[in-house]
Amino acid sequence: MIGEIFVKLAFTAVLVACGGYYYTFTRGNARSLNVARYAYHTGAVLILSFCSYLLYLILTHQFQYTYVWNYSSTDLPTPLLISTFYAGQEGSFSLWTLYTTIIGVALMGYCAKRGYESEVMFVWTMILSALLLMLLVKNPFELIWNTFPKDLLRTGPIGPDVTNFAWVDQAKGIWAQFPVEGKGLNPLLQNYWMVIHPQILFTGFTSMAVPYTFAVAGLLRRDYQSWVKVAKPWTVFGAATLGTGIILGGYWAYETLGWGGYWGWDPVENSSLIPWLVCVSSVHTMMSQRRSGTFVRTNFVLSILCFIMVLYSTFLTRSGVLGETSVHSFVSPGMWAYWILLGFILLFGGFGFGLLLRRMKEMPKIPVEHTIYSREFALFLGAFAICLAAVFITIGTSSPIITNILKGKSSAVDTAFYVKTTLPLGIIIALLAGFGQLLWWKASTAESLLKGMIYPLISTVLFTAGLVAYGVRDVSMIIFSFSAAFALFVNILVGYRIFTGNPKYAGGAIAHIGVALLFLGFVSSARYDDKQTVSLPQGQSTEILGGYTLTYIGERPIDEERFGFDVQVQHGNEQYRVLPTMRISAKDNTMMRHPDILNMYTKDFYITPLSVETPDGKSGESIALLKGESKTLADDLKVTFVDFDFNDMQKGKMLEGGAFTIGVELLVELNGKKEAVKALMKNSGREITYIPAKSSLSDVEFTIQKIQPNKEEPAKSRVELSAADPQKISHQPKVETLVVEASIKPYINLVWMGTVTLVVGFILTIVRRVQEARGLNEEQESADF
Amino acid sequence: MNMKIIIAGIIIVAALVFGAISFVDTNVEYTDFQSAASTHKKVQVKGAWLRDRDASFDGTKSQFSFYMKDDNGKEVRVVLDGAKPNNFELAEAIVVKGRYQDGYFHASDILTKCPSKYEADPASVKKTL
Repeated sequence: MIGEIFVKLAFTAVLVACGGYYYTFTRGNARSLNVARYAYHTGAVLILSFCSYLLYLILTHQFQYTYVWNYSSTDLPTPLLISTFYAGQEGSFSLWTLYTTIIGVALMGYCAKRGYESEVMFVWTMILSALLLMLLVKNPFELIWNTFPKDLLRTGPIGPDVTNFAWVDQAKGIWAQFPVEGKGLNPLLQNYWMVIHPQILFTGFTSMAVPYTFAVAGLLRRDYQSWVKVAKPWTVFGAATLGTGIILGGYWAYETLGWGGYWGWDPVENSSLIPWLVCVSSVHTMMSQRRSGTFVRTNFVLSILCFIMVLYSTFLTRSGVLGETSVHSFVSPGMWAYWILLGFILLFGGFGFGLLLRRMKEMPKIPVEHTIYSREFALFLGAFAICLAAVFITIGTSSPIITNILKGKSSAVDTAFYVKTTLPLGIIIALLAGFGQLLWWKASTAESLLKGMIYPLISTVLFTAGLVAYGVRDVSMIIFSFSAAFALFVNILVGYRIFTGNPKYAGGAIAHIGVALLFLGFVSSARYDDKQTVSLPQGQSTEILGGYTLTYIGERPIDEERFGFDVQVQHGNEQYRVLPTMRISAKDNTMMRHPDILNMYTKDFYITPLSVETPDGKSGESIALLKGESKTLADDLKVTFVDFDFNDMQKGKMLEGGAFTIGVELLVELNGKKEAVKALMKNSGREITYIPAKSSLSDVEFTIQKIQPNKEEPAKSRVELSAADPQKISHQPKVETLVVEASIKPYINLVWMGTVTLVVGFILTIVRRVQEARGLNEEQESADF
Repeated sequence: MNMKIIIAGIIIVAALVFGAISFVDTNVEYTDFQSAASTHKKVQVKGAWLRDRDASFDGTKSQFSFYMKDDNGKEVRVVLDGAKPNNFELAEAIVVKGRYQDGYFHASDILTKCPSKYEADPASVKKTL
């Protein structure tokens, strides 16, 4: 109740602020500005309060709230319990709202100093009220008996043993029983990454709205130039945080989820990559506009797109339109959320682009003064290539929608689509990241360009020749590595020169070094990884992947749910121990594998447990029988497959996912004596056990290996059995076998190093741009090198 | 200036054509086992795991094989390159990506859909009372 009221009050306060700001810049009224500020701060306090309240409900296990019940449980450690705040849609929208509020406070102060407050905050409060509207529809404070009225609402006397109840309407005698335990957090999310990653990602998502806000504010004010300077540090901030969020997600997938890689071109991953690419490309064109006043329209378009793509991505991943095409299965949020999200895209897109179209004519035409050999042109091409990559990824991610419209049937593109389309763009981007740094503003001479690139070019050629000599044969990879190496060496050289001059200005060069390292890391770790699946009998050594000797030592429990598999890895003279784990959730019997990684500077040795095969001594003779068929084994033992026994299943147990048993009825004959026996397959839900059929006639036992019932034609039902005498085979040593997938990821550290370098570059740039924006009228533009 | 526009136009058109070709090329159609059997293209099929039929992992080939029923009720053996996926038991629906060959579906990729587990449903609320 309280939570819901707070959401409503906050919505009202933010709307008042929105109106106040509108009034301020249309009428120039100072009093309305004060009202707007108060209203915004009131809204902020209310938002902070309902978020704290939700957190309080989670921490105190108030399972009478559907959201708390749905995502948390009493057995979660506190950090994970806190993270259930944003485990579901309602909560992640709350988090988004909270961050929008907080960034809004910072934005207000920043803009007030620079005279942009009323327009910027008008747009910002519009965004904030849209998010709050979403929370009014998808209420995180819904009471559980309102979600399940039929199941939980009761009338009449309350039983003496019922303590977990609440009065819904005491006058009418309606009460509700509520859960004492929550459903808990998805085991896949139960690790520390869940605590960090969404927070950073949502900060990034939130800051993507800032360029939009500034662009619209610029249009409202008919200010087509200076808004860029004010918006620039925020745009870089957005690129830095969202970029960090994306790569942390990749690291999470790599390190914990055991997907084998850090990027899978999944819609959820793509949906944060698309706005990031748009944002990065606008960072480049903004730089150009700040410098020479060009790209006025481009910057408006890109800044508006940053936020629209965030909304579109949210729509793709949160509305259920992608259906079966993503590993991240998102719960369909209902029609309301679908239309609201679609409405947001139309509203904010229409507002931004509509305003842009209206102002288009009056925008000053800045004559293009630069030549093709200018930094402006390189920046433009670079931004264009980055945008094109975003376009391709958007098309690929939207493929289920596109094919649905075109063919009436949705289908998704293979991940090959993304590689195919982005690789040529990656090559162009890398080359430009090198050339662009060597070019001067307005115009460069061929001489200066050649002079600048001579050393980097020699290094690049040597480096690439080295790669070819080392065994790289794939032409596209050679070209990609060449261009990435070129970007690397140019930026190292340029960066060094700037750094020795004024370290503050080295942000761009450092960020580009990061990109080049990332690209090289992509080539080595994704294209030249080496993978092998191997069975490791306990205690025996097996050599794989050219020089890694693996020995499975044994299994050991880590805690109630997790088992570790102790594996010794011998490589050269070095000996390592790895402990990949499996986790079998006690709650729902799901099994999850967690890899272990040996980080060896130049490569990662990555090992994932696939399965453990415990010997059961049933490796006797294998026989396949159709229904009614007989076979005679050694010692004249004859066996006939009579029928299946599905009695247990007909009780519907299997459908409930519970335990069930299937029987195979057999007739055993020896020396004229007959006996009916039954072999069983028991599925406890967690594991399948086989109980052999024994007869008094012989020591031979029959165990089910495979069953193939055929309901349409029962005569075609088939069974595979193993026939063995346990007396004879029990002498064999019982050895457990661990099956693992091992892979070598060469130079994967380049990916992480590249990311860190990129972010450092971003941070340096933010610092510099903030200082510049502070002295807005003061021209302190020195050449970048 | 005109030259620039022409060049830019050519680049954009080329990029779009390239994108469109790649799109058609890599598009993996949703279909059922019936039509998967009549094509050699990579397709994806949605269906349910048949829990009562044999499912096993072959450690030597690193393949997991199981039986699956598509939405039209056709039952087919699926051989997946790789181990049994996480959350397989929980999946209320699965999507396999691959090709149909020699009487079985050779899957290179699998998606498991387990929404019901994390969706509020009356049966689960009763369990936690």
